[in-house]
Amino acid sequence: MEYIVETKHLTKSFGKEKAVSNLEMKIPKGEIYGFLGPNGAGKTTTIRMLLGLMRPTSGSVQLFGKDMKNNRIEILKNVGSLVENPSYYPHLTAKENLEASRKILNVPKKRIDEVLQQVRLHGVANKKVKGYSLGMKQRLGIAAAMLHQPELLILDEPTNGLDPSGIIEMRQLIQSLPKEYGMTVLISSHLLSEIDQMATRVGVVSKGKMIFQDSIETMRKFAQASIQVKVNDNEAAWRSLLANGQKADLGEESVTLQAEDDEQVAASIRYLVQQGFSIYRVQEEKRSLENIFLEMTKEEQAG
Amino acid sequence: MILSLVKADFLKIKRKGMWLLCLIGPFGVVALQMVNYGVRKDYLFDQMDDRWLYYILNINTFTPLAIVLGIVILTSFMASIEDETNAWKQLVALPVSKRAVYLSKFTVVSCIVFLSSVLLFLFMLGYGLTLGLGADIPYLRIIEYSFLPFFAALPVLGLQLWVASVSKNQAIPVTLGAVGVILAYSAPLLPDWVIWKWPALSNDWDHSYINALLGIGFGLVLYVLGMIDFKRRDVK
Amino acid sequence: MFSVINSEWYKLRKSKVLFLLLIAPLIGLFIGIANSSIEIEGINAWHGKLVMMNFTYAILFLPLISGVLASVICRYEHQEGGWKQLLALPVTRGKVFLSKYLLLILLMLVMQLMYLVSIYLVGMIEGITDPFPMDIVWKSIFGGWVATLPLIALQLWVSIAFKSFAAPFAINVIFTLPTILVINSERFGPYYPWGQPFLMMNIGGSTEDVFFVPWDQILMVVGGSFLLFFIGGYLYFLKKAI
Repeated sequence: MEYIVETKHLTKSFGKEKAVSNLEMKIPKGEIYGFLGPNGAGKTTTIRMLLGLMRPTSGSVQLFGKDMKNNRIEILKNVGSLVENPSYYPHLTAKENLEASRKILNVPKKRIDEVLQQVRLHGVANKKVKGYSLGMKQRLGIAAAMLHQPELLILDEPTNGLDPSGIIEMRQLIQSLPKEYGMTVLISSHLLSEIDQMATRVGVVSKGKMIFQDSIETMRKFAQASIQVKVNDNEAAWRSLLANGQKADLGEESVTLQAEDDEQVAASIRYLVQQGFSIYRVQEEKRSLENIFLEMTKEEQAG
Repeated sequence: MILSLVKADFLKIKRKGMWLLCLIGPFGVVALQMVNYGVRKDYLFDQMDDRWLYYILNINTFTPLAIVLGIVILTSFMASIEDETNAWKQLVALPVSKRAVYLSKFTVVSCIVFLSSVLLFLFMLGYGLTLGLGADIPYLRIIEYSFLPFFAALPVLGLQLWVASVSKNQAIPVTLGAVGVILAYSAPLLPDWVIWKWPALSNDWDHSYINALLGIGFGLVLYVLGMIDFKRRDVK
Repeated sequence: MFSVINSEWYKLRKSKVLFLLLIAPLIGLFIGIANSSIEIEGINAWHGKLVMMNFTYAILFLPLISGVLASVICRYEHQEGGWKQLLALPVTRGKVFLSKYLLLILLMLVMQLMYLVSIYLVGMIEGITDPFPMDIVWKSIFGGWVATLPLIALQLWVSIAFKSFAAPFAINVIFTLPTILVINSERFGPYYPWGQPFLMMNIGGSTEDVFFVPWDQILMVVGGSFLLFFIGGYLYFLKKAI
């Protein structure tokens, strides 16, 4: 398989502390790769190394099959990025900010208007960025990252500071990139829900280590939601389900179905109704990312 | 690549008042002599037979100080434009070498200071002509005292740019600048190897071009050292 | 009020400001040792040293470094929105401004005292055996400090107004450099605020008064510029949109 991003034994230490340790990241072409992890897990440090901003203590970074160490400039011609908080020159307008990058990237001037249109900043293009809201600055950062139509777009927490409608727009924009331009996107976040709605592949990092890396479908199995049913007599319902050969757990105030798909849920509910139970509530409870992390790190330690 | 970086850097210094400083520096240096000659012209005329030379030397008491402080301010401005929102990371993530990024900053500051030298030449000559200092206009000497201080100050430029671009805290290069100007002011007391003495154009050999040549040579050395250090460091 | 100053000091302690204060005596040592003073029979050898050391120190270094200190004390507020966090605490803006100012002048006093130590050290190194003229030195050190009070107020003002270090420093330089020329003038020198640190540290003046310059000059030039800069900065800070 052709990997756009491939790291081998990537490690970065600050003094004694290992911020990133033996990380092996693999991103195939055309994917939207969700890079998940709690704050301080090493996401941003990894991204800085992917961009050649930091030198790895050991290990290597390969983008487009080329080694970052010796081909940095050539590689970066095809990479757009937004790292952590957006960087900009507050005393310049949005247009001037993009012009400062455009001169270096050497792309046609009309790209500035195009990307401003894409992130919907064309109305305020001639205002100084000083007066922008955080969301507008964030969108300007994304515009700058897309200026040269890169093959790989690296976005570190891109929905930071955006309002709900801005987040939806951003999501739609990012989702359209692989289809329309064949771009590969790496997007980091500490929110599973955000990654869940966009990504096609997921990498989970914790304490500098990659603890999970696979397709989103596999990830979803880990994050499988459980169905909780509240009935007039929880214990009787539970016994009844078990007697019928269906898996369930008895909680304090509800019965939890261990169903693997929607059909099984439907079957269990149908059965309970037929048995004459009064069903008050059927609710889905998603496991939090924190729980999934805990589970994954547990497995990591056990393995 | 370097040319587009320089163009981008010139765009970034818009509205920062750096062009104004470029003008204020040489204007201020000559304006101080306007006040000086305005108040006590007769007294100053009596000081030396060669009135042009005395006038040029008077101007040159301020040129080294202004040039050293100007370099401190400009280099600190250059760094703080990138520091403000940590735009270094965005700049270095573009397809440019860090060496070129550093060279571009050096080039832009040099251009501004050089332009100041051109203005100094024009102002010095212009005001001198109105004073009636004598019919023999010493063009060569005016050129010498307008442009050689710039070349002699290149090591200070190299050092200040280095410290300003790698310091997170601009108090460090600015304090170094305040110490530097004390050294430039104390030039007559210092041995010839102190770089802050060079813009004053005095040395044991009595040839001002030596300071300029030393400045170019040692400025290049400090520039390379600063560039290597800048390249070596991780961008936060 | 005290708690605000205390908090200011706490924040400042964590930055490298103490290192900055050390620069003053180092500069003092440098000027003192680099200059060989002329010895005149019958005159206390300390006087020669003082005249020469105070000259460079007070004309350029003192005004410039006071501006750097003022910028340092505002630096961490400009970063990552420190001002808004500070002013969202139950303190008045006036108290914040006053605390920063008081802390600054305290630091300047410490710096002056360290410079005093460097004068003494220079004398020791050069083996001056004459009695140390404490009455004169004290006047000079304290007078130099009083003369920087208005300059610090102005620098605090511009440091609050500008985020960068370079801009307040540029303004400082523009006013400080002409001092070299202005103090030569008997007509204009006494009225130039940036010339006052030199005039008040220069031991040549009259020894009858508390300071080396007449009281009316101190009140009018130092006092007047202090009121102007302090009130200006104070009002600016009260109205500044954070």
